[in-house]
Amino acid sequence: MNITINGMNIIAQSGITILEAATRSQIYIPTLCHVAGKTADAPCGLCVVEIEGREGLVRACTTQLAEGMAVVTDSSTIKKHRIERLSCLAETHFGDCKAPCNLTCPGQINVQGYIAHVSKGEYEEALRLVMERNPFPFSVGRVCPRFCETRCRRILVDEPVSINHLKRFVADWCMTHKIDLNISCEPATGKRVAIIGGGPSGLTGAYYLSRRGHDVTVFESEAKLGGMLRYGLPEYKIPKDVLDYEISAILRMGISVRLNQKWGKNFTLQDLKNQGFDAIMISIGVPIDQPLEIPGATLPNVIPATKLLKNLSSGKPGKYGNRAAVIGGNNVAMETARSLIRSGVDEVTIIYPRAKTEMPATQRNIREAEKDGVRFLLVSSPVQIMKNDSGCLDMDLVRMKLGEPDERDVRHPEAIPGSNTILQVDTVVYSQGLMACADKFEGGELERTLEITPKNNIKSNPRTSLTNHPGIYAAGDVTSGPRSVIQSVVAARRAVENIHAQIMDVAKEAGESRFNFSRGRSFDDVDTKIFKGVKTKLREKMPERAPEISTQDFDEIRLGFSEKMAKTEADRCLSCGCSAYDRCDLKELSIDYGIDPNKIGLRKVPIYEKDKSHPTIIVDLNKCIFCQRCVNSCEYDALELSATSFDQKGRPEGLKLVFKDNCVNCGNCVDHCSTGTLNKRDAIVPVINEEMREVRSTCPYCGAGCQLILKVKGDTLMEVTSDPNLAPNYGALCVKGRYGHKFVQHKDRLTKPLIRKGGQLVETSWDEALNEIAKRFFDIKSMYGADAISGFSCARATNEENFLMQKFMRTAIGTNNIDHCARL
Amino acid sequence: MASLALTFGSGAMTNSIADTEKTDLFLMIGSNPDTSHPTIGLRVHQAVDRGAKLVVVDPRKTKLAERADLWLRIKPGTDVALLNGLMSIIIEEDLWAKKFVEERTEDFTDLVKLAKKYTPEKVAEITGLPVDQLFQAARMYAAEGRHAIFHGMGITHYVTGTDRVKSIANLAMLCGKVGVEGGGCNPLRGQNNVQGACDMGALFNTLPGYGGLENDELFDRYEKVWKIRLPRRPGKPATEVWENVLKGEIRGVYVFGEDPAVADPNIAHVHKALEKLDFLVVQDLFLTDTAKAADVVLPAACFAEKDGTFTNTERRVQRIRKAVNPPGDAKPDWEIFRDLSKKMGYDMNYNSAEDVFEEIRSLLPQYAGITYERLEKVGLQWPVPTIDHPGTAVLHTEKFTRGKGLFIPEDYIPPVELPNDEYPMAFTTGRDLARYNFSSMTGKTPEIDVISPECFAEVNPIDAKRLGITEKCWVRLTSKRGSVEMRATITDRSQEGTIFSTYNHLEALVNFLTLDALDRLSRSPEYKLCAIKVEVLDEKAA
Repeated sequence: MNITINGMNIIAQSGITILEAATRSQIYIPTLCHVAGKTADAPCGLCVVEIEGREGLVRACTTQLAEGMAVVTDSSTIKKHRIERLSCLAETHFGDCKAPCNLTCPGQINVQGYIAHVSKGEYEEALRLVMERNPFPFSVGRVCPRFCETRCRRILVDEPVSINHLKRFVADWCMTHKIDLNISCEPATGKRVAIIGGGPSGLTGAYYLSRRGHDVTVFESEAKLGGMLRYGLPEYKIPKDVLDYEISAILRMGISVRLNQKWGKNFTLQDLKNQGFDAIMISIGVPIDQPLEIPGATLPNVIPATKLLKNLSSGKPGKYGNRAAVIGGNNVAMETARSLIRSGVDEVTIIYPRAKTEMPATQRNIREAEKDGVRFLLVSSPVQIMKNDSGCLDMDLVRMKLGEPDERDVRHPEAIPGSNTILQVDTVVYSQGLMACADKFEGGELERTLEITPKNNIKSNPRTSLTNHPGIYAAGDVTSGPRSVIQSVVAARRAVENIHAQIMDVAKEAGESRFNFSRGRSFDDVDTKIFKGVKTKLREKMPERAPEISTQDFDEIRLGFSEKMAKTEADRCLSCGCSAYDRCDLKELSIDYGIDPNKIGLRKVPIYEKDKSHPTIIVDLNKCIFCQRCVNSCEYDALELSATSFDQKGRPEGLKLVFKDNCVNCGNCVDHCSTGTLNKRDAIVPVINEEMREVRSTCPYCGAGCQLILKVKGDTLMEVTSDPNLAPNYGALCVKGRYGHKFVQHKDRLTKPLIRKGGQLVETSWDEALNEIAKRFFDIKSMYGADAISGFSCARATNEENFLMQKFMRTAIGTNNIDHCARL
Repeated sequence: MASLALTFGSGAMTNSIADTEKTDLFLMIGSNPDTSHPTIGLRVHQAVDRGAKLVVVDPRKTKLAERADLWLRIKPGTDVALLNGLMSIIIEEDLWAKKFVEERTEDFTDLVKLAKKYTPEKVAEITGLPVDQLFQAARMYAAEGRHAIFHGMGITHYVTGTDRVKSIANLAMLCGKVGVEGGGCNPLRGQNNVQGACDMGALFNTLPGYGGLENDELFDRYEKVWKIRLPRRPGKPATEVWENVLKGEIRGVYVFGEDPAVADPNIAHVHKALEKLDFLVVQDLFLTDTAKAADVVLPAACFAEKDGTFTNTERRVQRIRKAVNPPGDAKPDWEIFRDLSKKMGYDMNYNSAEDVFEEIRSLLPQYAGITYERLEKVGLQWPVPTIDHPGTAVLHTEKFTRGKGLFIPEDYIPPVELPNDEYPMAFTTGRDLARYNFSSMTGKTPEIDVISPECFAEVNPIDAKRLGITEKCWVRLTSKRGSVEMRATITDRSQEGTIFSTYNHLEALVNFLTLDALDRLSRSPEYKLCAIKVEVLDEKAA
């Protein structure tokens, strides 16, 4: 039968539908309900097409082909209809695509995913998931401002989940257990990229560029890598051995490093260009302190904060006396004050011209400084510093008040005349902010013409990460001024995407869609009924050293979660995001057709309670669009989905899903669900960023030999499905074939050869184990003959292995005593 | 599979799973695919849904039995008498396929002679079935159409297992149901790669590809390829190893991927033998009970961590592929054999599983046309003699592998251990849908524990009443060899006088009860039937 679809001539089998013909010709027609040749009672209506010479739209799933039919699958009328249908279905869909924590994280880390891995005890995979987006899990896990926790919906129940402590836990656990994540790189591209600066942004750039297959060289001005993580954050926050481990894991990607190479002094941008680098990324951070512009600023014992912190980090001894003042209210000022306390200074005072709540430092850092005994002298400002007779410094301080609002309605602090007091100190440290350069960059022509911002940072295009020079990129604090580590990581990761697209001359991968169904974007929008059944359980408390002890040294204050604490904490996660994120057809089609959930107005309250009574499937009917694919795909006729009535737009009300007694737990319905209504109980890790790999295999259980698709992420078997087009099982699986694969990564697996010594089985090397076997078999052979040895082969193992086992017995041993459990 | 090899010349499922679409009538005997081979069971159900006839021979009331057109609730262990009885009726009523028998089989007269002895009345007495059911079954199977026999471990796990399989083959040949799509004799292989392990010659009495030890020509060929003198003395079957260990004949054992300390029949006997062994090597995924007794334990990679092929019950050779890394230092088994063989002075030079497969296909005619490349998309059913051969969905279409089909009539021999005064109940076992063997793998999935938390002794309501058994009460089952405790459930799935239990729960190792008497040809044990007594345990109230 001859037809055309979108003008393409197609010879199709007669008696089939347009949808079937299109599918066979690999022409895509969207549908939400069609499965196994069946359509929902109330069809989704998305598969509509136009037929030349006929009025209106017809459904492709039910319209039979006719000779000469001319079908159009996409037109503005069709699109309009599909958008209407999708909007209609979406209105009643109640769920979150992504969890709020995930949406809030600047790094878009799959927070819910790694927490789920923790709760399953899969720490290695949790870390791998973090590393998809952030190569600094140790550091960020210690110093992150935790944007995610502020949006954690658990706040509405009791307290937010201690997300960041969990991140730190998985990183530390993998370090303690010497786990090599074996993260692989794409094949080498032959492109070379130079990165100036080996701090968080530079190393992030190096890490992701290497994973992309580029040859990366990092130029670092200091003797060691790490930037602010090493020289700006004291050891009580990030211990140096942890940082060294973290950096070594990044370098394992095959990154070249040139240390003690100061940009502008040892090399210029032009030098790098001459050396043939295809791209240059500047990520030197903000190494320059804003100067202190008052009289006495140049006196000895008046020092910039970064210098003090660097000296301390490098182990350079310094004498700071008994009393010190720190000028500034930013995070660096807090670390400076706390470091001074740990250096034996009795009295450390932070001086800041406004109130505490207006300090740029995070409230958490301020609280910690207070706990350490740092004093705060607020709404005060230094006027000048003088050396007094006793060799100390007299700081002339003036009280401040807020002035009249300026044209932008901002009230700036002003000095109160005559309110001066003198504070006597031994050391003054100032932390007034940081910038990329003092004035302009030194070096050659390219440096001198590098465009900078009014705040003395490098100007770069936020979309392309490019500076004003082609091929030269900048990312991280060097462009933005001081930010959190995770923000530097994100900036660098974005720059990597730009650099990669540019040097490979490919289009930049489309950013992930911001499309998101939500059960409430703000806390106020959230109906607390969704927490029904959640028991109050306060967060695990991070074990830490008491301030009176921890201020005696620079050792780490927070000791980290134990495994038990981590699991308990992970179990507090409410798993807001949809575990069907990677397979939801409703979401995919809504993105394709530009549906805006915020405009169409979503349901605000749950109607159905989650049903957890099935042994392997959790049902959330709030997400159901009544496509009936679950019913129509079930080969056992084992479930019933019903609605008591339909609303004006034909949408179901009073939904009820019942698994009948003949359900065999095969899980097929879940794979066919068009939303996240049906979920495998165990599939709690949403797959958001990097996709799962699909490896085809054969079931290891009975003799049917069902074909499997093993879905793998990182090094973890996430779930098992089957291809409906492949013999012998054509997509059917039993409960074992679908779920019975936890043994693969079970903790009881043997990991080392064991040998009996002194009556006990103890771990040994392969060499020793095999030598022992060879020796003992030789002994038996020489004393009793080869037939005194017998081998059991394995009907579960492969053909190749059975072949070799019998070959081994017949050749190396020399007996036909070989058999297997075929008859057992 | 030894019997089908004798009668047809090839010991494998004659047809394909997909053939169920074309079958007009299923004769299911000693097989409950709903739990043992669920995706095959599904196809049988779907065939019945579309109108295929179903005859079930099973002492248990299985799901298929419940919906069968004819259910023969036979006394356990009396299948050979039944099969002979059916053939007797078919010959008597002149329903047999004369052309087929004449052209394609031999020794028919022997069958006629034997069948004569099995009058319907005699068979009815042995099997406990009404005579009219025998006539009905015989007529249904012998009628025109594509009729398939499916059988499983319910047939082979008896001392007379091979007799049953031969009798099944006799019946199929008698009615000309072999060599056609939708028909045939279809043994359902219990484990994923039993077929492959047999094909590969992991057998005491054949080389790879089923060449017997008496085949000198074949030996010469292998010796040339493997460059070593091969032993031509017969070996010992797995089921005789422990006895020989206790006798001091066998001193060292290499156990690869098995757990005889729980899986073998009469395990108390095995435990004794394990203690006596001079040297035991176990290669496995877990520290199994057998491994705990070993001198050296080698950690192996599992199916998701290596490349290779399995051959399924319909002779389909299919790939497995490495998806994740093995834990710690664990290695694929083929690497272990290669490395150990080298240590023992016999070099094996393989760099991949594919290298091994290339050697297999160079030696086995059935596998000659199969390559990893060809398996990339979909598996191939052997025999695949050449590289462009599409594989063989149905065996014996033109002629039998051995030329003519051989009738090997077998007399009925009663089960070894029949219920008696001391042990008055019959005990049989089967697989739990959600579980596999002894749960060393399935037991690691928490959902499966929810679906199937424990095993039950299934007791017929009449027996329950007589024995004072209440629902979910604890019972102790005792055979001559040992005893186990589990809870009872009262159900008419069990026949009166028979208790059934699944064998997959480690907490109740039913193989303490089972019998290690062996089939005289295949040396399979009589797992499926033994005599027990039942006690209600009051102290262990539910």
